[in-house]
Amino acid sequence: MKRSLRWAVMLGALIALVVGLTACGGSSSNSSSTNGSKAGEPTKVDLSAGKKGGKITFLAAADIDYADPGQTYYTFGFMVQQAINRPLYSFKPDDTTTPVPDLAAGPPEISADNKTITVKIRQGVKYAPPVNREVTTADVKYAFERSFSKNVPSGYAGTYFSSIEGTPAKPNTGDIKPISGITTPDKYTIVFKLKAPQAPLVSQALVMPITVPVPEEYAKPFDAKLPSTYDQYVAQTGPYMIQNDSKGKLVGRKPGKQITMVRNPNWDGKATGDYRPAYLDGVTIEEGNDQLEVASRRTLSGNGLMCCDAGSPPAQVLKSALTSNKDQIAFVPSGGTRYIALNTKVKPFDNLNVRKAVVAGFDKNALRQTRGGKLLGDIATGWLPPGIPGFEEAGGLTQGKQYDFDTKPTGDLALAKQYFAKAKAEGVPIGSNGLYNGPDKLLTIATNADPGKKTAEVAQNQFTKLGFKLQFRIVPQDTLYTKFCGVPSQKVAICPNVGWFKDFTDPQSMLDATFNGNNILQQGNVNWPQLDVPAINDAMKAAATTPVGTERNKAWAKINDMIIGQAPAIPWIWDKTALIASKDVKQVPNGYTTVQDLSFSSLK
Amino acid sequence: MLSYIVRRLLWMVLLLIVISFLTFMIFYLLPSADPAVLRAGKQPSPELIKVIREQLGLDKPWYVQYWKYLDRLAFHFDFGTSYQNQVSVKSQIFDRAPATAGLAIGGAIVWLLIGIPIGIISAVKRGKLADRLAMGGALVLISAPVYWLGLVSLYLFSKGIGVWGVFDGAGTYPNDGSNLFNSPFTVAPTLFLPWLVLAASFAAIYARFLRGNLLEVMSEDYIRTARAKGLPERTVIFRHGLRSAITPIVTILGLDLGILLGGAILTESVFNIPGIGRLAVDSIQKSDLPTIQGTVIMGAFFIILLNLLVDVLYAFLDPRVRY
Repeated sequence: MKRSLRWAVMLGALIALVVGLTACGGSSSNSSSTNGSKAGEPTKVDLSAGKKGGKITFLAAADIDYADPGQTYYTFGFMVQQAINRPLYSFKPDDTTTPVPDLAAGPPEISADNKTITVKIRQGVKYAPPVNREVTTADVKYAFERSFSKNVPSGYAGTYFSSIEGTPAKPNTGDIKPISGITTPDKYTIVFKLKAPQAPLVSQALVMPITVPVPEEYAKPFDAKLPSTYDQYVAQTGPYMIQNDSKGKLVGRKPGKQITMVRNPNWDGKATGDYRPAYLDGVTIEEGNDQLEVASRRTLSGNGLMCCDAGSPPAQVLKSALTSNKDQIAFVPSGGTRYIALNTKVKPFDNLNVRKAVVAGFDKNALRQTRGGKLLGDIATGWLPPGIPGFEEAGGLTQGKQYDFDTKPTGDLALAKQYFAKAKAEGVPIGSNGLYNGPDKLLTIATNADPGKKTAEVAQNQFTKLGFKLQFRIVPQDTLYTKFCGVPSQKVAICPNVGWFKDFTDPQSMLDATFNGNNILQQGNVNWPQLDVPAINDAMKAAATTPVGTERNKAWAKINDMIIGQAPAIPWIWDKTALIASKDVKQVPNGYTTVQDLSFSSLK
Repeated sequence: MLSYIVRRLLWMVLLLIVISFLTFMIFYLLPSADPAVLRAGKQPSPELIKVIREQLGLDKPWYVQYWKYLDRLAFHFDFGTSYQNQVSVKSQIFDRAPATAGLAIGGAIVWLLIGIPIGIISAVKRGKLADRLAMGGALVLISAPVYWLGLVSLYLFSKGIGVWGVFDGAGTYPNDGSNLFNSPFTVAPTLFLPWLVLAASFAAIYARFLRGNLLEVMSEDYIRTARAKGLPERTVIFRHGLRSAITPIVTILGLDLGILLGGAILTESVFNIPGIGRLAVDSIQKSDLPTIQGTVIMGAFFIILLNLLVDVLYAFLDPRVRY
């Protein structure tokens, strides 16, 4: 038996050696450049002509949430929508701040009172088979109406479009009902009348897939079901279409396995003013690639592949690739902020000085290391991330400069103690060492999967260093949101794994849901710190009506400052997503969807 | 025999009902996430959550939900519709079953082809170098988690990312409806590496098990008698020794195969084989209760069925066994 063991150990050591050699194949250097940019800096998008023809396979971990444009609400779903459908407005890959007319024929016309938006659409845009007819504004109207019905529950219709006159407070039951505030004076004009002067926000939100036209006569039988089955029969207007049969059933979508996209025979980009070049003959999305490292390596060494929907490749693969495959990597800002939420309704975080002490004492750099370090993100100093209007007005990468507690990325224990001392004067238990000394264990809910788990563990150490005792629980990410952090009655003190990413590029969409006290919900709450400061709420109400442009950006930048001053959370990273592709693929990242743009990418 | 089989089949039905009930209660009372909130997007309003809850039937009392489920299952063989993609669970399971069956059956053949000869050689060459090598290697393979072994094998032997690109790697299993049974020559190459990985620990266990059994049998009186009669050693081992020693292998083979037919979760995940195991993992991650229940019941069905088959087969292999 002893000899058997010896053999076993030797064999194990041999395997470990081989594996180790394999894994260490690349250098750890990260000083090279990619596509003309310094490593980690957002890649300059190259929109020069690509090669026509060929097919690409995209390696994805999971399926899209929905193919139905009325229901999809996640990045990966948006990526597919961008290729198969035409919303009223969308973003070219190289400009995430100014939407361009897509199905629309020009910019939205906004009335002086900010209560009416008029949009004209292009003529000659046709649906893919089997619908085959021209798109009219009645289809856009129906797309909105169905999204306010019970059968087609949209995740954001109520949030961004409830200011349209006639929208129901609760989703309609029974038949899909008309919305009086949406009218179509002719086949190519649609008018949105608003209850309040909310046109700045609503006009920006017209990039959302809810504006993708839906042909009523075709979709109605599917929408009559509860829930609607249109998701399996989507009518398509983009350069590509998910393969369907003669009845329109999306036979090319096999949930959890594969999505096959082919060219839409009815798409004529030149005639209908579509800015998408659509070089490829087809795209296949291969699902089930949740081994990110395997998928990344396959992509880098294979042909005709792009990756990944589930975040950046692991840091070790990325660092190695930056040395040997740098042209195969592109970096794109994620347009969001990750942060550690401090519940302002739970002691001791109901005390502003305690919160300031925590923000001052935290080593954000250590947190950033858990997501790949500098390469994959800038240290967040506020709540308006790069790429969002208002970012520059808020101070760019150094937001909230006037607050001393938000300036040192590696933390400042001395400053933290100063704030703890102020808190002590307000009755907060502070020990003789100058750190927090409360008796209670603070409920902390963290995710059970890396890299979030690592982040939470680093945060746990730092809270402990500041004197806090935690009741640290790890749960699946979905549980974290749906059962704990999103449910105020759970009284979770610390949520170390939350973050907010753009729906569209407007500062209101970044700050309103997450820090407006009027938006605290008893379930599905996303104002995780439960910040409810009347001055901030009022400022948001006023800024919401400010027209798009510099003044609006300044107004929201000021609100951003006010929020930083309340220290409701520890912002620690403005992510960048690293996208990779095979050597023979010219990948074009889209700054809006933060993944590759299937209509611009091509084979080399 | 017939009455025994009928009795066992009735027990099987009862057991499946109990399993479905337990699964239902676990996910109803202790769900990892609220399926309605999960499907309501990033900013779910209470109204929206309520609507989705109604859509999914989650607003009904648990016993109503369960009864409806049982009614559909028992009288229409309908597992319900996935919360996640609104596709029939039955169609998803049937769509994925051939991939799992191909992996499990092929893997079983590989581990029997490797494990049985090694077990025999180890027993016959007891204490010699071959025995020590085989048993040492077996110990390593038993200790190696399938997940780890799968990744290591990919990095060493798969085309594209392996050091020695010998076999097809992850994601090569076709998604066009081909499977081992309708397109064996296309699909088999994509399964070689998964078969080897899946078979590794099983082969090691079977080899050790067979070795132990064979050593025990070879010391029986009837083996001594056979040798005394002057039979050749090969005949003694294969005709008299192995026949007795291998019978218990059939039992564990049945159980192992039953478990794997319910989904070889880790192997399917590492190699991205779209089988029932992957479906189960995806559905658990998405709190997709109908799909979770469907995969659990299918898994239980195969385990119970294979158990029954093994018991019946036992009567043929061992004349002493009678029902």
